[in-house]
Amino acid sequence: MAQSSIVEKIIKEIEGHVGAQLSEHVGKVTSVGDGVVAIDGLARAVMSEVVEFEEAKGKKLADAIDSPASGKGKLYGLVLNLEEDSVRATILGDTSRVHEGMTVKSTGNVLMVPSGEELLGRVVNALGEPLDGKGPFKNAAMMPIERQAAGVIDRKSVSVPLATGIVAIDAMIPIGRGQRELIIGDRATGKTTVAIDTIINQRYEPEESRPICIYVAIGQKESKTARIVEQLRQEGALGYTIIVDAPASAPAALQFLAPFAGVAIGEYFMDAGRDVLIIYDDLSKQAVAYRELSLLLRRPPGREAYPGDIFYLHSRLLERACRLSEEKGGGSITALPIIETQEGDVSGYIPTNVISITDGQIFLTSNLFNKGVRPAIDVGISVSRVGSSAQTKAMKSVAGTLKLTLAQFRDLEAFMQFAQDLDKVTADQIATGQRMVELLKQKNGAPIPMEKQVVMLFAAMSKLFAETPIARVQEAARGFAEFIDTEHAGELKEINATGVLSDDLKKTLTHAMEEFRLGHKEFFAEVK
Amino acid sequence: MEQAYAKVLCELIKNGKKPTDAVRALKELLEIRGRIALLPKIARAFARLAAREEARGKLTLTVARRGDAKHAIKEVEKFLTTQKISDTDLCEEVDETLIGGWRLEGQGVLVDASWKKSLLSIYTASTQ
Repeated sequence: MAQSSIVEKIIKEIEGHVGAQLSEHVGKVTSVGDGVVAIDGLARAVMSEVVEFEEAKGKKLADAIDSPASGKGKLYGLVLNLEEDSVRATILGDTSRVHEGMTVKSTGNVLMVPSGEELLGRVVNALGEPLDGKGPFKNAAMMPIERQAAGVIDRKSVSVPLATGIVAIDAMIPIGRGQRELIIGDRATGKTTVAIDTIINQRYEPEESRPICIYVAIGQKESKTARIVEQLRQEGALGYTIIVDAPASAPAALQFLAPFAGVAIGEYFMDAGRDVLIIYDDLSKQAVAYRELSLLLRRPPGREAYPGDIFYLHSRLLERACRLSEEKGGGSITALPIIETQEGDVSGYIPTNVISITDGQIFLTSNLFNKGVRPAIDVGISVSRVGSSAQTKAMKSVAGTLKLTLAQFRDLEAFMQFAQDLDKVTADQIATGQRMVELLKQKNGAPIPMEKQVVMLFAAMSKLFAETPIARVQEAARGFAEFIDTEHAGELKEINATGVLSDDLKKTLTHAMEEFRLGHKEFFAEVK
Repeated sequence: MEQAYAKVLCELIKNGKKPTDAVRALKELLEIRGRIALLPKIARAFARLAAREEARGKLTLTVARRGDAKHAIKEVEKFLTTQKISDTDLCEEVDETLIGGWRLEGQGVLVDASWKKSLLSIYTASTQ
């Protein structure tokens, strides 16, 4: 900025400055500890109100100026307990800056975060402050962190699919826009990978209908979040993604607020009629942060020392994910919360709570992961309660019996060691199941577009790979999809555009399967 | 527990009971209930409560220089009349960092008419 313009700005500010004696409601800090502060006074404070700690008192003007270079800024707190004579608030920043006797001002505002197109491709903290060093937001809209979820009249049922690019999910546990689908499993079973692949897969969506993706990292290692940001950048997915980061090193208050900040950012886009995909990675850590905060606030502990309103914490968050009616713009928020289980126990307090709130769950198991089945989705206990109505007809027609085939295979799997003594029907069922399991294996970071998934599943259900060696099924299926892409690109486009697998298309694909069989004999070495 | 007893003691005195009588009554009650060991804790809690009550009612007028107080008091009185706040406990302090003007704090209210605040707000507005 030129010197003259700075001077002009200062003159303008001085001329417009009104030295009005405005009174503010204040209180005094009586105790500070573990990020929680007790404030005497603030009689008119309301729940979830933001309060400002007055740091300028007793300091010289030069020291009191919030120099951007100092990186300090104002220090705020969030009122969480209203007691008889005092209020308790959590400090939204550096606790060491608060001391006993400090004046605390009421702001009269609830906590808000910036949102808007400017945030796309950015990494922010739970307060919406940029963490990526790309500078502050200039024209962002402010959205309240706590907001009532849309009512029944304002909602519409889930009917538009949200493709994850993961064959096992899109075929058997389909997700619709506006749905809440839980991703649950032990540590290191690929939960985050499923979520990130879903974000990456959105690049195949047309720009006008592509969901805005929000990844909320709660209590994660900074290195993991940095790796995810880099992966999204490399895959070209960062441009439509916002990262909200509340790392393990952040105070419990910020870890508790991060999911609410994420959904508040998402609501801006939903209100504008856009679709949003939000991932909470993970809500178990948020529950732990909330438990810590509640105990420090001296709220009565309940089961596993969680506070009584732990269910409400998650239900009010996940209820904000919905599909709005056309009158309300038709936008949506699809939520993929992640929950980490201990030793595969889904009957824990937090897992059962979140299972009951969501519209289905994708269950990942260590057993399958260690067997090399990745994504390690246990199809038997994974379910999508509303997604099937959002599944395309093409996918329904090829994946209708897939779950049953796999269930039968799981039942017969135990007899595989007696392979020589089995009757032909059982042996065929096992062989088909083995090939299906192979087909559903997928590398991470490699989502497959819906139309290719349909083609692959059509070929598999038509027994194209019946005699392909199991180890080469995946390769053959991908090869067939590529073959269709090069030789019958028009058909793929048609499936994508119409979402239907017509009889003519089926005939063309059957014919293409023959061509592929003849042209790629290496996959069908055992064909007699 | 001691907080509750201290609060009751405070209320008794506020309602006109003589402090010595109130303490005697409390001591007798604690002896009957076998909780006399709580007495020192109650005394400390009472001291804290009393200090808080006193601080709540206090109004502090801070000026940058001793000489500014006279002018400031006039403005403060005007403000207190409009806000219907009693000025019975108005005490004066000097804080050079205010640069000029005055600052009134107490009874849950803060009025900052200091030059430092004005300069800070001008700085913030022009640098944003």
